[in-house]
Amino acid sequence: MNGVVTIARKELRDAVKSRWLVAFAVTFALVALVLSKVQGDAGDIGDQGFNRTTAGLINLCLLLVPLLALVLGAGAISGERERGTLATLLAQPISSAELLLGKYLGLTVAVWGAIALGFGAAGFLVALFQPLTDVQHYLLFVLLSSALASAMLSIGLLISVLSDTRVKALAGAVLLWFFLVLLYDLGAIGLALTVSSSGRTLVAVVLGNPVESVRILAVMSLEPDLEILGPLGSYLSEQVGRGTSTILLAAGLGAWVVAPLVAAVEVFRRQDA
Amino acid sequence: MLRAESVSKRYGKVTALDGASIEIEAGRVTAVIGANGAGKTTLIKCIVGLLKFEGRIAINGVDISRHGKAARRLVGYLPQNPAFHADLSVAETALFYGGLKGVPASRAREMVETAGLEAHADKTVGALSGGMRQRLALGVALLADPPLLILDEPAAGLDISARLELRRLVGEQRQAGKAILLSTHWLEDVPYVADEALVLDHGKTVFQGPATQLATSGAPGSRLYLRLNGHSPDAIPLLQGMTSTGSVDRSGDWVVVTCPAADKARVVEALVDAGIGILDFRVEEAPVDAAVLRLQATHGGEL
Repeated sequence: MNGVVTIARKELRDAVKSRWLVAFAVTFALVALVLSKVQGDAGDIGDQGFNRTTAGLINLCLLLVPLLALVLGAGAISGERERGTLATLLAQPISSAELLLGKYLGLTVAVWGAIALGFGAAGFLVALFQPLTDVQHYLLFVLLSSALASAMLSIGLLISVLSDTRVKALAGAVLLWFFLVLLYDLGAIGLALTVSSSGRTLVAVVLGNPVESVRILAVMSLEPDLEILGPLGSYLSEQVGRGTSTILLAAGLGAWVVAPLVAAVEVFRRQDA
Repeated sequence: MLRAESVSKRYGKVTALDGASIEIEAGRVTAVIGANGAGKTTLIKCIVGLLKFEGRIAINGVDISRHGKAARRLVGYLPQNPAFHADLSVAETALFYGGLKGVPASRAREMVETAGLEAHADKTVGALSGGMRQRLALGVALLADPPLLILDEPAAGLDISARLELRRLVGEQRQAGKAILLSTHWLEDVPYVADEALVLDHGKTVFQGPATQLATSGAPGSRLYLRLNGHSPDAIPLLQGMTSTGSVDRSGDWVVVTCPAADKARVVEALVDAGIGILDFRVEEAPVDAAVLRLQATHGGEL
């Protein structure tokens, strides 16, 4: 356990030192400020001030958080391997599982910190322009973004242990991000149109992508009427129920956190340093 | 302290290490010798648990394959090319590895001093010279005062004074009761630094035994120059009749006998028993590197 904490602390220190944490927070705060200002200028503020800003931030967050987490996870082990420091680390009294978990823990805390800073700064700026209502939705989305980051870090680490160079790992991470964030929707629509558009299939498609799971969970938290989600919304509200749907999607997201990490540990344990 | 039995490592169809066995007791030094690609570093990486292998390796009875973490707690490892995080300072590196080894921060700070890096404690590792980085790596290896030290080519790239310093350190650690496994190219030092030697060639063990015997293994190793008070014509057939002598030649006033180092005394004894007086003598020990070359040539390898 001592080794896990030591590795996690170093990861956290490296993340802070590399300044991406600050860059992420500043980008977020600036975008939130612009969103809030645009909505304010358009006279589009009122009781749903935080709700509207949250809705505006969802798309940005679903783009940025997976990219950030995937790239960081992908560089974690492949970078050490490329620098030759992986062998030095694994020659210490630490198991490969502990090294991986330490890396995961450190990166998770760093990304959560970046998300909290970004949303915190954004929330502060929005509160200057808009009334403080619907804060709970805003906080829920902070939580969802953090969960999405944890899942993407887990997938990134799996890519990292499977790649022999950092460049390959980063290329794999960016390709996967492109697929999950930009292409997946198109594929899902195609699947629904050509193969099956049953509610079960649509739910399976959503569960197959943590980004989609978070998107649906965010929409479910903001919108009282799930019809906005089309056939999927109808199926969730009529067949599954709102509460069960939330649990199902949250469990799916949880599986995306645990399964790639367990797979990464198993693969890493069987590899030569 | 260290027991490795029939350790083999294969990469696809290539056998990097073929059934190597080694045993080192506390307070003993074993040198692993061989050309590049002979399997020295592969053997060491198997012992540290960095490579998966066939066979069994135990450190103080702890199996490295099953309980790698516990076994590595007993090992101080100096890799051939030490790689640290270039952006960490010397002090931060010592604290980081101290944390992994579970030693107090005060011990890590003390290590920076004993490694002679106190003046460079705030420098990043990336800014250190090769020699200083080597000292830091050695310091990290010794941080937790482990009972087994594994040094992979520790003298590579060091100047003569650093080499002598390293030789002194190996002696000190041996005196302190540590078991030491050392892969090296400084063959001429092997008999003085190591108690046992293991010579690898293309992954196979071609010699294993006392380091002092290394020079004489594989072929006759010592050369005796004898001045025999005019009795050379009688001495030559006598010495040629001894089974252990490799060759007996005459060179001016001298009779030159080539034989295993352990048989030198028998040669002298035979002459004395035959009543042949020895006026003068000189001994040349076969160089270790020549012996290693002979061993490798015998097994089809090359240095």
